[in-house]
Amino acid sequence: MTELFRDTIRYRELIWALAVKELTVRYKRSILGFLWALLNPILFMLVLTVVFSKIMIGAQPHYAIFLLSMLVPWTFFSQSLGYAAESIVGNADLIKKVRVAKLVFPVAAVVSNLINLMLSFIPLILIVLVMRHPFYWTWLYLPVPILALAILTLGATFFFATANVYYRDVAHILQIVLQVWFYLTPIIYSLDFFPPKYRIFFKLNPVIYVLNGFRLGVYYGLLPTLESVIASFVCAFAALYFGFWIFRKHQDEFVFYV
Amino acid sequence: MNDDSLAIRVQNVTQRFRVIHERPDTVRELFAKFTRRRVSYHDFEAVSGVSFEVPKGEIVGLIGRNGSGKSTLLKIIAGVYRPTSGSVEVRGTLAPLIELGAGMHHELTGRENILLNGLLMGYSKDVMRERQEKIIEFADIGDFIDAPVKQYSSGMYMRLAFSVATEVDPDILVVDEILSVGDFTFQEKCLDRLRRFRASGKTIILVSHSLSQIEEQCDRVILLEKGKLTVDGKPAEAIHAYLGENLVEEPVLVEAPSPRA
Repeated sequence: MTELFRDTIRYRELIWALAVKELTVRYKRSILGFLWALLNPILFMLVLTVVFSKIMIGAQPHYAIFLLSMLVPWTFFSQSLGYAAESIVGNADLIKKVRVAKLVFPVAAVVSNLINLMLSFIPLILIVLVMRHPFYWTWLYLPVPILALAILTLGATFFFATANVYYRDVAHILQIVLQVWFYLTPIIYSLDFFPPKYRIFFKLNPVIYVLNGFRLGVYYGLLPTLESVIASFVCAFAALYFGFWIFRKHQDEFVFYV
Repeated sequence: MNDDSLAIRVQNVTQRFRVIHERPDTVRELFAKFTRRRVSYHDFEAVSGVSFEVPKGEIVGLIGRNGSGKSTLLKIIAGVYRPTSGSVEVRGTLAPLIELGAGMHHELTGRENILLNGLLMGYSKDVMRERQEKIIEFADIGDFIDAPVKQYSSGMYMRLAFSVATEVDPDILVVDEILSVGDFTFQEKCLDRLRRFRASGKTIILVSHSLSQIEEQCDRVILLEKGKLTVDGKPAEAIHAYLGENLVEEPVLVEAPSPRA
């Protein structure tokens, strides 16, 4: 764990350069360029908002904000994992020819998506303004769930980056898993729809604790309970510890499999 | 050997690869394990039990036929591979020139790649900014410096890579065969730079199939045969042994250019 921290500091310039490279290369030669990074999730949000505001009408006032407050961080989570699964395999050229700390690649994948996450708050802020939803002071609390989310995502990233080196199916399976995961997480709906006895089932989902802070802060103007904050960081650090442990155990072998 | 004057120490290094025949890269492999179907493979020792030391300021040549383990050994020294057994000690900074385009991203421009390449080698952004102009000047590829490197000819690739690797001023330079890509004038420029490198007390490891270049440049030559170190001595001695070995088996291959990918 200290190794992760130390190397991240040590290679910060490289990580930043790789993260920026990730974003620029992906959208080079497209007319809208970098805007696609934002447009993609925005269009997806738009579709969901339009579809579900009609269905859920009456259930949640300002449904768009209700949805977006959680969809924005979820998009970060799922996109990061998508990038991450490819982060070692996709940089095979570098790994096979230059001596480089392998952890820079998954970290860079998360950093490039963090940049996206920050930018995707812009449409959220616009919608809050347009819908005249109050700007709660609890927005100030958002850095806390962002931190927990980034840690959780990084952990999952290490795990999937490693797994995909050995079994390329992982990247494909991951997409399906993420879809199912999306619907099992109360993003488009509220937990209140379910009778309390079923809610225990959702509590097994580690992402929920982390995402919850976003909706509370942006939509309800509330702070999460202390237990929920602790739970979110416990989940986040557990994921990071486990993910990095797997990654570290296998990183010297990557070069033979990519 | 006096410890202060040592640049590289390779101790009893062995590199074993598992060569899986028609490798199922997928879950099929897992299923194969469940159903007890054997995944067929053989282990291949690319480098076996190699030991040598290189003092500072020496140019060492590595020769041997294709598949004799030269490139694998270089990659072990450069830290790309962790050897299966044995140890490698490298003192000082090392710049690898292992394959064309190593550490470059084909979608990025030459200028962007200079920075990326430098960062990958562990230099800071400031250092790279500072040296950028000199690197561009030496590479001498004109306006192509702002074009994505995927549009480069192999010569341009090599010019840029060589320029970055030498301009960052490493203590040790590891060069694998790539000099042969440059044209005559650039080769001269490179060799001249290598000579000056040595004059300033730096260490160079050179892999080449051009025996005349090896004989001319190196202080010492190591011959590898099937992963084993067979000769470690004066250039003439090693080259003689190499030619002798080849004359018996395949005389045609002696000066043939390597079909390296």
